[in-house]
Amino acid sequence: MKTYKYDVVIVGGGPAGLAAAVSAKKQQAKVAILERNGELGGILEQCIHAGFGLHVFKEELTGPEYAERFIDQVEDLDIDVFLNTMVLDITKDRHVSAICGEGVLHFEAGAVVLAMGCRERTRGAIRIPGDRGAGVFTAGIAQRYINLENMKPGTKAVILGSGDIGLIMARRLTLEGIEVEGVYEIMPYPNGLYRNIINCLDDFGIPLHLSTTITRINGKDRVHSVEVAKVDEHRQPIPGTEREIACDTVLLSVGLIPENELSRKAGVALDPVTKGPVVDENLETEVPGIFACGNVLHVHDVVDYVTTEAEEAGEKAALYAKNALKKSDASVAVHAEGPVRYTVPEFVDPEDGADKKIKFRVGAPIEKGVTVIKAGEKEVYREKKAHRFLPSNMEIHTLKCSAIAGVRGDLTVSVEE
Amino acid sequence: MNNELKKLYDVIVIGGGITGTGVIHELAKYDIDVALLERKNDIAMMATKGNGGVVHPGYDPHPGTLKAKLNPRGARMYPQLAKDLDFHIRHTGTMVFAYSEQDLKKVDELCDNARVNGVEQVERITGDQVRNREPYVSDKVLGALLAHTTTMVDPFEVAIAFAENAKLNGTDIFLESEVQDISKDEDGNFTITTNHDTYRTRYIVDAAGIYADDVAAMAGIHEYKIQGRHGNLCVVDNHLPTPIRTVMFPCPSPDTKGIALIPMPHGNYIIGSTATMRTNKEDTSNDAEGIQDLLDGAHKLIPNFDDGSVIRTFAGQRPVALNNDNDFWICESETVPHFIHAAGIQSPGVASSPGIAEYVRDLLADAGLDLKPRPGYNKYRKAPVDFSECSDEEKDQIIAQDPRYGQIVCRCETVTEGEIVAAIHQPLGAHTVEGVKRRTRAGMGRCQSGFCQFKVMKILARELGIPEEAVKFEEDHSPVLLGHVK
Ligand SMILES: Cc1cc2nc3c(=O)[nH]c(=O)nc-3n(C[C@H](O)[C@H](O)[C@H](O)COP(=O)(O)OP(=O)(O)OC[C@H]3O[C@@H](n4cnc5c(N)ncnc54)[C@H](O)[C@@H]3O)c2cc1C
Repeated sequence: MKTYKYDVVIVGGGPAGLAAAVSAKKQQAKVAILERNGELGGILEQCIHAGFGLHVFKEELTGPEYAERFIDQVEDLDIDVFLNTMVLDITKDRHVSAICGEGVLHFEAGAVVLAMGCRERTRGAIRIPGDRGAGVFTAGIAQRYINLENMKPGTKAVILGSGDIGLIMARRLTLEGIEVEGVYEIMPYPNGLYRNIINCLDDFGIPLHLSTTITRINGKDRVHSVEVAKVDEHRQPIPGTEREIACDTVLLSVGLIPENELSRKAGVALDPVTKGPVVDENLETEVPGIFACGNVLHVHDVVDYVTTEAEEAGEKAALYAKNALKKSDASVAVHAEGPVRYTVPEFVDPEDGADKKIKFRVGAPIEKGVTVIKAGEKEVYREKKAHRFLPSNMEIHTLKCSAIAGVRGDLTVSVEE
Repeated sequence: MNNELKKLYDVIVIGGGITGTGVIHELAKYDIDVALLERKNDIAMMATKGNGGVVHPGYDPHPGTLKAKLNPRGARMYPQLAKDLDFHIRHTGTMVFAYSEQDLKKVDELCDNARVNGVEQVERITGDQVRNREPYVSDKVLGALLAHTTTMVDPFEVAIAFAENAKLNGTDIFLESEVQDISKDEDGNFTITTNHDTYRTRYIVDAAGIYADDVAAMAGIHEYKIQGRHGNLCVVDNHLPTPIRTVMFPCPSPDTKGIALIPMPHGNYIIGSTATMRTNKEDTSNDAEGIQDLLDGAHKLIPNFDDGSVIRTFAGQRPVALNNDNDFWICESETVPHFIHAAGIQSPGVASSPGIAEYVRDLLADAGLDLKPRPGYNKYRKAPVDFSECSDEEKDQIIAQDPRYGQIVCRCETVTEGEIVAAIHQPLGAHTVEGVKRRTRAGMGRCQSGFCQFKVMKILARELGIPEEAVKFEEDHSPVLLGHVK
């Protein structure tokens, strides 16, 4: 059993962990990244399509290229990286234990950054009836099989859910000669980014069926067909609209869930909506010295925003480890209201002089609206230009500290139509 | 090979579910030659993998039935068997809830049954006592039966343990061997023909589950009919917001014990099960109504049950002998001597299995089989390493011997590469993705193999020396992948 001591221990070596590590290191902290896979980069390694980096680098990079830019910095900065190392436990006092091929490792950390990412919602979680044979994959695992293992998941696919990975995979399958019969979405609007609907479906003539879902999967050994049906406004199948589609493969792109098993072990409180930790504006959880960023905190739309969020978490974690994180005792809660489903952070400090970044998503599309933030009855922020709000887009707004200095009472974030 | 030169077994058991494996485990104690024939590519692939795993103590079978005799007998044997055969067992107790005066009467009846059936530590408790023990239970529960001795097992693990121990003691186990014909030879012995081979035996134990009547018919026996009683089940995440530690049932009806919430040995839960008769014996699909019934059932027990905690659904069929008052059908054939039926093993077949095995042994003895103790019999079986249960010191030691134990493959259930390799090379090793899952729990957790399936698949391909596209998910025609991309 080996024991190590670091200022900042970062759990997860995907885009969030990498950016957090670089930023913490730039604050002169001693940093370690613990990554369960054999390489850094996380899910980006299998995202070989372009579309990453438009905000951060003003360039269109592939997933691996985007990751490489950070991996290079991690190497240049001599950050310690533990690969094939799985963290099994984190305690409230920031004791991290892990295992790897050499045995059990223990880390004493000045601060911990949670950057474990998320996982895909599965068939079981959405309880699709029918047989349980081979041929049902989450979009992510199918992506892994094709892009990294050079394996073919099937010959004719139906995709359930219009999340971004599903859309990207519709195009990927088509390019590999695997027929995509269609994408089926239970909601009356698509879940993925608009640009992906155009680039991945429309350009390839793949139909998107809204308000439609798979009601049954057939094939005891391997999928041979699915039954789809239209749904009503309560998302219940409408009798008589069933249609059977022959296929040998079903891909699911039905949502992502932050992976917070370790956070729970550390006693970190979770937000029931985001399923990620409750954090303040420093991205610090309710357990002092434990920070969170990236998809483990809340599911992001594009990786660039993961990077900027993680840079902040890394910096704040390094400051915490050096006892230099400025905080006043004041703290007000931030609530989501009306069409706003959640906010990150859930708490801000109105007295610390820093501007606040408020991120949120809406629950359903809004054709035209503006973001409004109130402190009690008092309006402290109103967006200037009205625009469209989509559940697939993460909103980021900067709230000037001066606007809330001295406020009492909670902040509420809403969208006015 | 010439038929006459073939080895003559004393007993051939047909069907490798909990009944068949229980029987070979029992018969392994005696100095006889035994074989098991199983048509699937793994043991316990039918009813035994599709059930709730509750070792019911035996308060509900009607006194006087075979069930009333064998269920308590089997259930009492489980704790010791778990020690000898090193399988997981969890002592949970059961509560049967009463929601009305009529239900309270039923609870009293069940308490009386328990007494007559010789089941100890069963009592009636009040609604408050129920909620003291389990704070999330519905306010509508007026009182309950509390059976203290109920345990929980993973039936697949038990069947594997039975089969491995039998194999260790010399039993031959043939998988992918579907019995297709049975004839009685002039010398009074049976010849059994499978899709691969023929076997000769003096006695047959028919433990073919839902197909037991079809197998009997091959020997010209038409004494009973089997139909399946289908049941949906849900697996629930181990982080249930309303955790429970006792198995919870509503009051039973004649055909079913009702929808229960069941804490499993490894920390997750099962909601089980619905009960509808089916004519298609192969149908283990889930249906939307059934799943909804399960969720409604769970809410009736625990009003704040979180539907979002369900991580998987599955289903099984209970083999029911028709016109038999819901009892087991275990006896020597009236028309063909030396052919023993171990059939109609509906619920609680898992709980009863060790009792059924002894009963079948006695039927064989009554039919003339000579049972002398096996010299050198080994009653133990050691389970493979369960890494997640080891201390840090043990982990270090294991990894030092084999670094593959330091590589986590399944993150949800903390299963290492070392354990998966061991499961593949066990005496009755896994050779499918689902086989690995049942033995190691890799892929059982909340991500449902989203992260580990490709790793498991590659390990299987490597260890079995087959190409990746040849790796099976479960059944014979269930490739995970269909070749390579360009
Ligand atoms: C939904 C559900 C919930 C249940 N819950 C519980 C519970 O909580 N507790 C409990 O005690 N019991 C429970 N049961 C009952 C229990 O599962 C069964 O009683 C038990 O598994 C039956 O075991 P078996 O070995 O007789 O049958 P099976 O497990 O079906 O085994 C029969 C075997 O015979 C093989 N076979 C068939 N035909 C041939 C052939 N021609 N040649 C070779 N092999 C053949 C099959 O492949 C199979 O492996 C439940 C059942 C269901 C369906």
